[in-house]
Amino acid sequence: MPREVEPSLNEKQFVLQALQENLRLDGREIDQYRPLELTFGDQYGVADVTLGKTRVLAKASAEVTVPYTDRPLDGIFTIATELSPMTSPAFELNRPTETEVLLSRLLEKTVRRSNALDTESLCLIAGQKCWSVRVDVHVLSHDGNLIDAACFAVVAALRHFRKPDTSMEGGVLTVYTPAEREPVPLSWLHSPFCITWSFFGDQGEIALLDATWVEEQIRVASCTISLNRHGEICQIAKLGGTPVDAVALLQCSGVALTKAKEFSTYLDGKLAEDTKKRNKGGLLAELSAENDR
Amino acid sequence: MATANSRPTVLPGDEIDPSLIPQSKNKPLRLGPGLRHIPPNTILPTVAGQLITLPHKSSMWVEYNSNRYTPTASDLIIGTILRSGPDFYYVSLSPYTASATLPHLSFEGATKKTRPQLVPGSLVYARVTLANKHMDPELECASASTGKADGLGPLTGGMVFDVSLGFARRLLMGRSRQEGKVEVLELLGGDEGKLSFETAVGRNGKVWVGSENTKTVVIVGRALKETDEKGLGVEAQRKLVRRLVKETR
Repeated sequence: MPREVEPSLNEKQFVLQALQENLRLDGREIDQYRPLELTFGDQYGVADVTLGKTRVLAKASAEVTVPYTDRPLDGIFTIATELSPMTSPAFELNRPTETEVLLSRLLEKTVRRSNALDTESLCLIAGQKCWSVRVDVHVLSHDGNLIDAACFAVVAALRHFRKPDTSMEGGVLTVYTPAEREPVPLSWLHSPFCITWSFFGDQGEIALLDATWVEEQIRVASCTISLNRHGEICQIAKLGGTPVDAVALLQCSGVALTKAKEFSTYLDGKLAEDTKKRNKGGLLAELSAENDR
Repeated sequence: MATANSRPTVLPGDEIDPSLIPQSKNKPLRLGPGLRHIPPNTILPTVAGQLITLPHKSSMWVEYNSNRYTPTASDLIIGTILRSGPDFYYVSLSPYTASATLPHLSFEGATKKTRPQLVPGSLVYARVTLANKHMDPELECASASTGKADGLGPLTGGMVFDVSLGFARRLLMGRSRQEGKVEVLELLGGDEGKLSFETAVGRNGKVWVGSENTKTVVIVGRALKETDEKGLGVEAQRKLVRRLVKETR
């Protein structure tokens, strides 16, 4: 397996020096994200997110399976993250690198353990049948800040996803095709977003948002904060690295909240736009079997 | 382009119009990159690009843009030192490819005692002396015949920016303004930008920019990358330089 290339000494020194003068190589502010773009596929549950040159594709799918015996009332929800050699020759299939393990753990903690998706609503017949929802994350291009892009893609894909409608009549479970009944959205409780801060300098005194690949290579520590637009923090991960002042971290989480609100507004806007595009002639409301609550 | 007819676009395997092939009695025909001679007398393009012919030099080649660098003898490149061996430095020209070798003594005025000590990760501006298909390329930082460096050697400070190979070639053209349509460096250093900086362009798609002022390096790097990625023309480059200089003032 070829090793990941390292930036040269000149690059490392220059990027650090520029950061000390409050300059970034692409002319961004230190708390500015690269242009974020989200496109939905023709199918439900496909989200393609680009963040500068980083590109992540997430695809949600659902199938009917048997629930786990220790959790008969819960559905199954998994997130599969895969970094393929297409992203960079340093990644190999079936041999997860540290980046890949951290990415899947963080997504798991952010989306799954924060109960963003109500897994109880995925249960069809207690102990016998349930929905298994799976999100596949494919990293198409890696130019830093994979975690934020991947988390946004997962949340976007799940919120865009529609699972086939079902009904229970006299103990018989029927799964309807999209032609018979309009598919229904998942029962979604809140949208968490990951905001990653990178720290530079001997004491970690310089903090940046949305680090590019080069910046990621020379940072001394990073901290990922997952929170939703209401400011409810799902997790904070600061895995090793230089210790960072607690007050600085508090400030970081304050900025993270405004970023999470921006993400949330952007995602809502995109989802509304997509619904409008699909709802030609305004017939979707009639086809839907959902009750207004 | 005004000279569209003299620069036809070719695709791999296309037949080349025989009238385009330079016919010269006393000079043998020289084929450059992207063309392949199949004996007895077929010439086929192997890449997609613009076919360029120079009748007075009896040479022809295909001008194309790509991202993967294949070393060719006498190319100027910017390499990163990977490690030092007993007699050579091992230098990386592009990521995930075989390393090139640079002899310890191939610097201007270098002897066993005075040779530059380069640590892994430092940058060198070097010339490719040997590039065979199945061998590691060899480099030099001083001309083998004269022993002069001619600007080659270790690069200290500054920053390297990755650009596409075609853009690096356009920057290196003798008359980059007329032939390559790149004016961005002249503009930045001239009246528009009034910046002072030095550059070194490597055919392996790397541009080194050095300056006393960090801000200058950032501006030059952004201008180069944007010109390359967006394929800006001369007028657009002028606008870009104006915008960048205004933004940072």
